[in-house]
Amino acid sequence: MADEPLLQLTNVTVEAGGKALVRDVSFTLGRGEMIALIGPNGAGKTTLLRAILGMVRYRGKIAIGGRIGYVPQRLQYDRTLPMTVLEFMALTLQSSPVMFGIRRATRRRALELLEHVGATRLARSSLGGLSGGELQRVMLAGALHGAPELLLLDEPAAGVDIEGEATFLELIHRQVHERGATVVLVSHDLSVVSDITDRVICLNVDLKCEGKAKDLLTAERIAEVFGGHKAVYGHHHHH
Amino acid sequence: MIDVVINYFTQPWQTTILLCVVFACLSSGVLSPIVVSSRMAFFSDAVAHSTLAGVALGMLLGVGSPVTTMIAFAVIVALLIATLRQYTTLALDTLLGVAMAGSLAFGVLIYEKVRGYSDLHSYLFGSVSLLGTEDLVFLAANAVLALLMVGLFANKFLLVAVSRPLAQARGLPVARYEYLLIVVLGLVVAVGVRAVGLLLVNALLIVPAATSRNLSRSVAGMFWGSVAVALTAGLAGLFLSDWLDFAASPGIVAAAVILFLVSQLLRPLLGHHVAE
Repeated sequence: MADEPLLQLTNVTVEAGGKALVRDVSFTLGRGEMIALIGPNGAGKTTLLRAILGMVRYRGKIAIGGRIGYVPQRLQYDRTLPMTVLEFMALTLQSSPVMFGIRRATRRRALELLEHVGATRLARSSLGGLSGGELQRVMLAGALHGAPELLLLDEPAAGVDIEGEATFLELIHRQVHERGATVVLVSHDLSVVSDITDRVICLNVDLKCEGKAKDLLTAERIAEVFGGHKAVYGHHHHH
Repeated sequence: MIDVVINYFTQPWQTTILLCVVFACLSSGVLSPIVVSSRMAFFSDAVAHSTLAGVALGMLLGVGSPVTTMIAFAVIVALLIATLRQYTTLALDTLLGVAMAGSLAFGVLIYEKVRGYSDLHSYLFGSVSLLGTEDLVFLAANAVLALLMVGLFANKFLLVAVSRPLAQARGLPVARYEYLLIVVLGLVVAVGVRAVGLLLVNALLIVPAATSRNLSRSVAGMFWGSVAVALTAGLAGLFLSDWLDFAASPGIVAAAVILFLVSQLLRPLLGHHVAE
């Protein structure tokens, strides 16, 4: 069982309005692996995640061997809605309405999840008042409920300051090591992900390349994936 | 004033009115936080306006009680809006504006034919002083339905209100919940309009949560605040309008709006500035 892949995509295609957003993508992800899915904006990265989550129609086959936790890209939400972080967590942790009170077991579980991401102190804060980095931690805490085997993180560092970005990625790294979670990290920024991931998959509608970050990061390859904008993304010379 | 209040507890027909108002306010106060958080304020307004066409149609067709056609029409209009929303690129408020204008015009046209203009007043403002046992039964059922909705599905509605994509990604059948909310709102609004008038139903679905949002930082605060505002406005409006010889429905609405204005003034004192 241990060798069975956790996620297997076979010839996955997603179309919208006759145009392919993702075309014929196949890859396999083993348990405990951490991969980065990179590509320029509009390359179909988020669409591919949505296909894995079953939120969009696709052709091909997606086999998932476990529960999924998902952290969306830069959540747009109603910041004026009066809701504490604890209440937000409780929305999915208990079935009785949060306005009728938060159960003791819910509170314990929510604090436990927040502790995993170093955000216990945010429990009583207002959801609308969180900074980008704090919100991402809360979202990650929410995604960890149900002990998912597969974590899908869509640009988790977008909208987070550099320092927050580093600690957030460390947090994810810790999930992989301590919990044996398998992670797909979506990013448009190679430099962010190359250090912490095992493998990089480059996507620009089609699958462009796949392999170890350091082997892949040649100027030619980046130019191919990103269509010549290598100056923006080419951090490979640091290695 | 004391006499006015005491009468509501000693005269059976007045007790019926009091209970009707309490149930109407309870169902609206309970649903108001969901309506406001889901940004459906304008939607309930459009559905409420469609009830006139439902009543008129019922009278035109000679259906025994227009309540049936009224509720059916409201739910149909609600579903129609919800479905059109999926297939149009128009903004929701535009779509609702068209639906509201259309169903109101259609309703007034038929209404005029079958009954003349005189009853439009009671349609708009209700006739609280004429509320009877039948209304009480309908309004009590409304309150039970509203409480059931919140008791069973509030967390789901709130998750969708925070973020539709997030709710979707967490495996919630979002569209199904949206339709459910729409149908229940259609029912509650239709029953409410018949008893207490269009103005009151609309106001009580929006103003209570708008008021409590100003003063609370949590869902619990917003919810209980909304119920408290609705009930306070209902009772204060009823008693004061009786005492001062006003119509009850606009009196209740005015009381609710005054509470809203007070909350708006108190807001800065509580340090609740909106986070940008």
